[in-house]
Amino acid sequence: MTEPLVKFRDVVKRFGNFIAVKRMDLDIYEGEFVAFMGPSGCGKTTTLRLLAGLETPSEGEIRLDGELMNEVKPHERETPLVWQSLALFPFLNARENVEFGLKMRGFDADVRREKATKWLERLGMGEFIERDVSQLSGGQRQRVALARALVTEPKILLLDEPLSALDAHLVIRMQGVLTKLQRELGITFVYVTHSQSEAFAMADRVVIMGEGNIQQVGSPREIYRTPKNRFVAEFVGRNNILSGTVQNVQTDTLVVKTPSGDFSVPNPEDRTFQVSDPISFSVSADLVTISVERSDADNCVECNLISEEFIGSVVTLFLEANDGTELKAQVQEKELEKIDPKLQISYYMSWPTRSAHVLENNPSEE
Amino acid sequence: MSQLIKKRRIDSYALAWRLPIIVWQLLFFVGPLLFLIAMSFFLVKNYRMVETFDLANWARMFSKDYFWSSYLYTFGMASLATVVATLIAFPASYALAFKVSDNVRRWAVFFLIVPFFTSYLVRTFSWYVILAESGIVNSILGNVGLGPFKMLNTPFGTMVGFMTLVLPLLVILQTLSLSQIDKNLIEAAHNLGCGRIRTIYAVIIPLAKIGLVVGALFCFILSFGDFVSPYYLGGSSPPTLSILIIDTTKSGQQWPRAAVVAICMMTTLFVMAFLAIRFAYRKPAS
Amino acid sequence: MIKDAAISFTLKAYLVALFIFVFAPIVTSVVFSFNSDRFPSIPLGDFTFHWYELVLNDPDMLTAALNSLFVAVVSAVIATAIGFCTAYSDYRYNFRFKGPYLALALLPPTIPLIIMALAMLAWLSKIGLSGSVLSIIIAHSVLCMPFAMAIIRLRLSQMDSSLEAAAWNLGASEWGAMREVVIPFTRPAIISSLCLTAAVSFDEFAVAWFVSGLNKTVPVVILEIVQGNIDPRVNAIGTFVFLTSITLVVIAQIIFMKNQKNGKAS
Repeated sequence: MTEPLVKFRDVVKRFGNFIAVKRMDLDIYEGEFVAFMGPSGCGKTTTLRLLAGLETPSEGEIRLDGELMNEVKPHERETPLVWQSLALFPFLNARENVEFGLKMRGFDADVRREKATKWLERLGMGEFIERDVSQLSGGQRQRVALARALVTEPKILLLDEPLSALDAHLVIRMQGVLTKLQRELGITFVYVTHSQSEAFAMADRVVIMGEGNIQQVGSPREIYRTPKNRFVAEFVGRNNILSGTVQNVQTDTLVVKTPSGDFSVPNPEDRTFQVSDPISFSVSADLVTISVERSDADNCVECNLISEEFIGSVVTLFLEANDGTELKAQVQEKELEKIDPKLQISYYMSWPTRSAHVLENNPSEE
Repeated sequence: MSQLIKKRRIDSYALAWRLPIIVWQLLFFVGPLLFLIAMSFFLVKNYRMVETFDLANWARMFSKDYFWSSYLYTFGMASLATVVATLIAFPASYALAFKVSDNVRRWAVFFLIVPFFTSYLVRTFSWYVILAESGIVNSILGNVGLGPFKMLNTPFGTMVGFMTLVLPLLVILQTLSLSQIDKNLIEAAHNLGCGRIRTIYAVIIPLAKIGLVVGALFCFILSFGDFVSPYYLGGSSPPTLSILIIDTTKSGQQWPRAAVVAICMMTTLFVMAFLAIRFAYRKPAS
Repeated sequence: MIKDAAISFTLKAYLVALFIFVFAPIVTSVVFSFNSDRFPSIPLGDFTFHWYELVLNDPDMLTAALNSLFVAVVSAVIATAIGFCTAYSDYRYNFRFKGPYLALALLPPTIPLIIMALAMLAWLSKIGLSGSVLSIIIAHSVLCMPFAMAIIRLRLSQMDSSLEAAAWNLGASEWGAMREVVIPFTRPAIISSLCLTAAVSFDEFAVAWFVSGLNKTVPVVILEIVQGNIDPRVNAIGTFVFLTSITLVVIAQIIFMKNQKNGKAS
């Protein structure tokens, strides 16, 4: 096991009475593409700023390449950042912007020019080297910002919602550019975003943050299929979340009594439950089946259709159980023809026991 | 932003930018004003100032009728100038804010800035020429068999000078505050059957209140302290407080007494500014 | 509606009348500076450069012009430098007593000039700085500083708040970021501020007159001529002063408009 490139140990960051980051422990390895994702105010940008030295941790330590970074000033570390606003220098042209970091490190003018030109060309900006920043399009400015950050050949690149200002079709293109670049360079990318599609499309590992805590760390697939707690289940994807108490404990399964009915869920290996323990579980909306007749699946609940949402070939149905619990189901548009949805008609939602997944409590509730 | 970039311990960089103004203003702004207060207690003996603490200057100034008549005259003229200027400027600002295109407004504001960079003295001298008994206005009026009218060395002359001083600034301030009013609110008022005049005092004036009051305050400050118009166009009879300061220092060498006058002026201005700002930011009674 | 049009027309006519009032003294001054009559009246006398010749051939005027220029340039530099520091502190930092701090910086224009003049002269002779050119420079710097600060602060508020941090992130120290980013970004406002404060100083007479001994500035000379008698030389000098100031203002305006555009685009 190699030594991690970045180590967060018990890192706390306070702004006055507000705690932006609560006791963070995290390792990031060389060559990884890590995405921090969470709602606004969850501490993800603060984490990035801590890494860049723009904030100093209130407690704990941050190590970069084994070296303690807590008190190291921003300009004394090699942690270039691609800003949400891009923060290109408007009084410099594309090449001069890219040269900036080299100039600050005392490189000669001709070396600077050569490196800057090379990076701009590599990012497909060969024609625009001497252009004023104000004359470039959004996507081109993005590339200048990338070149400016990469020209000093850092081990780690920080990206703070860099695609949030771009049009949807450009976002997809830039995602491709970024993943290709990261693979070719083999350096660590730490990417902050609130967009699930960006994080899941590019990252090797996703860190879900909420209320200053790391809620879950894992591959996109892990996070999507096995959300660790209620926060993650609600934030990621379309999960049905049901809560109740344990009624019956068996080796493989638990029977959970909820206001909407009794359901069986897989008994998690890492925790033990007693009868009448409170418990929550999630069922992904794309793993349930909708039918007009009560089905004989493991779990089945009667519900009313509230509304529906078409996104291409997939339809999301918003339903409500008899006790008022909100439920969601994602079905193929083709299947929908069979059940002919009309509002206010009863349906049955069913799922096999293995599709359910027991949630932990949110860290803030512990 | 500012809260994210936090200060750590003693930040020499931050202090390097913060300190110059503090040192400079303490030395050359607060210092002179505090010294002015101290000076009002000094005495002049044999044309030399003696540093002491004596209330004689205050007692003397406050017991003189000319001081009080001068005070009342100055206060009265400045108040009158404020009212007159506000009334003259408002229709013009209203027109600039609502009745002309953006381009015309931009140019108008630009042309209103120009007078700030022509010497106020030269403009006053021009009025002297225009308003004199054999001046331009009277020679034009003479051709149609009117006049001549005595306009110089009268309060009218002073007032013309004050208007020259304050109108450009006042129209700019009023126009800026009026043009920031959401036009939809005015439309809404019309829509609800609010007449044109009523819209002005029920909707427009309350919405632009802060700008209008600040403009009026500047009128008062400028006219209250100006000495050029009352001196050259008003004939300094009666003298205003500023003229009193000049006379007491330049001819009488009585600096401490001039300081007393100056402190009275500043106190008046502070009180007026305080009242104006409180009035401007007061919530309208519902 | 006819009524609307009539109101609109009346308001516009009123506006024109107001501008005539504001510009009457300026135009009069320029016109009579070319008029041969000693006492200006209508109808005009002959066209002449006589008053300009008198002014240009007057060695006292030349001295006054040089004094004015020197005072204006030095005051503008001091006012702009301190104004920059203050504007930057306000932009970048939050600190305790920031309200009083800004009040201290912005208060001078609310004090009548004649009081500033009296207080300044008394204080400067008290602390032994009463050399008259120096006194005028100090007083003018105090008067101009708030304008300089306002202009530069306005420009700084157009600066992306992450621009400075971006420079640190790319290896610039705080001083380095100041030199490489903040100052280049603010440069147009700095030039505007230098022009405008120089123009303000060039026109100021109350303080200059009060504190001037032998070293008179141009407005002080005007004041003294005006005190004597009606003299059309004043019109000629006034026209000169006007041209100087307006040139500075136009330069400032052009630079400011240009940077406004750049600010928006970036």
